[in-house]
Amino acid sequence: MSEEHEDAPGPGTGQAEPEAGTGPTAPRQSGRRRLVAALWPPRLTRAQLIVALLLFVLGLGLAIQVRTTSDGNSTLRGARQEDLVRILTELDNRSQRLQDEKRGLENQRSQLETSSDQAAEALKQTQEKARELGVLAGTVAAQGPGITLTVKDPHGGVEADSLLDTVQELRAAGAEAIQVNNVRVVGDTYFTDGANRVLVDGHRLAQPYVFKVIGNPPDLEPALNIPGGVVQTLEKEQATADVVRSQKIVVDALRPSEQPDYARSSQ
Amino acid sequence: MIAVLGLVVGVVVGLVVRPVVPSGFEPYLPIAVVAALDAVFGGLRAILDGIFDDKVFVVSFLSNVVVAALIVFLGDKLGVGAQLSTGVVVVLGIRIFSNAAAIRRHVFRA
Repeated sequence: MSEEHEDAPGPGTGQAEPEAGTGPTAPRQSGRRRLVAALWPPRLTRAQLIVALLLFVLGLGLAIQVRTTSDGNSTLRGARQEDLVRILTELDNRSQRLQDEKRGLENQRSQLETSSDQAAEALKQTQEKARELGVLAGTVAAQGPGITLTVKDPHGGVEADSLLDTVQELRAAGAEAIQVNNVRVVGDTYFTDGANRVLVDGHRLAQPYVFKVIGNPPDLEPALNIPGGVVQTLEKEQATADVVRSQKIVVDALRPSEQPDYARSSQ
Repeated sequence: MIAVLGLVVGVVVGLVVRPVVPSGFEPYLPIAVVAALDAVFGGLRAILDGIFDDKVFVVSFLSNVVVAALIVFLGDKLGVGAQLSTGVVVVLGIRIFSNAAAIRRHVFRA
């Protein structure tokens, strides 16, 4: 303590006293001169060394702090505990919100996928239905197992009611699509007697009458051949009837599809 | 001159060596640096006034640093660390400004 005390005032007072002596009226000029004198020439005194040590520590701390602050990712290192807790809470909340959002979006996506699957399924079923109904209405061609019934009537004894009976018998036996020569037989088909000819839906039927029928052949053939059935009735009228089973019958006579004028779907 | 060299060497060493500060001491480093800066400006002003005393400088430097760190430490314990460190920085800043004004009057005579 005492040494420092003696050391320190040495240069300080030695510097200050000439100033005070030469110009007490100009203390401001003396201040600048004192600064220059303190800087140059360098003096290796104990006071200088101690101050240098302290300034070294200051420079070290300054550099460390500047470096720590300028490192972008390590700004959290110098943060206080409460700040860290707050930051952590905010991050937790944020990740919670993002998780919720993610869950919602995933739900939405799965809903959209399900609904598009359902829409595709519904479309498929509707198209299936349209084809089935087209077969019934005669607007599309059909093929499948069935029979061919050929009726030859050289004497012209077969009349419209016999053919209608034939069609009814076939329907009762489960026929799904019928065509006579090139006329498709559907729900509103009618048979009439013309001049020596039978008319189907207004079309003249040429001989022989060829029925192409799609259905289960083991059902259809006995239905025609049973005693007192269609074949026997036709033979009574001097006509011949041939029934031929086939695994592939093509019913390709079509009817135009007609929009009903008054009836509308009630669904 | 040697003192100025000490400051320069400290900055260079701090930048080059990258010493690791213990994490318990880290929150107090910025406040300690500001307090030390205040002491340095005070010492500079004392040199210009012709009343510089190295013992006074050493004691004021160390006590500035310790007291500033202590205030912040106490503030952290009391839960008002952020506010207290702001207060310390404001007070030290005012002192640095007034010292800088005195230095300016000496150097530029204005």
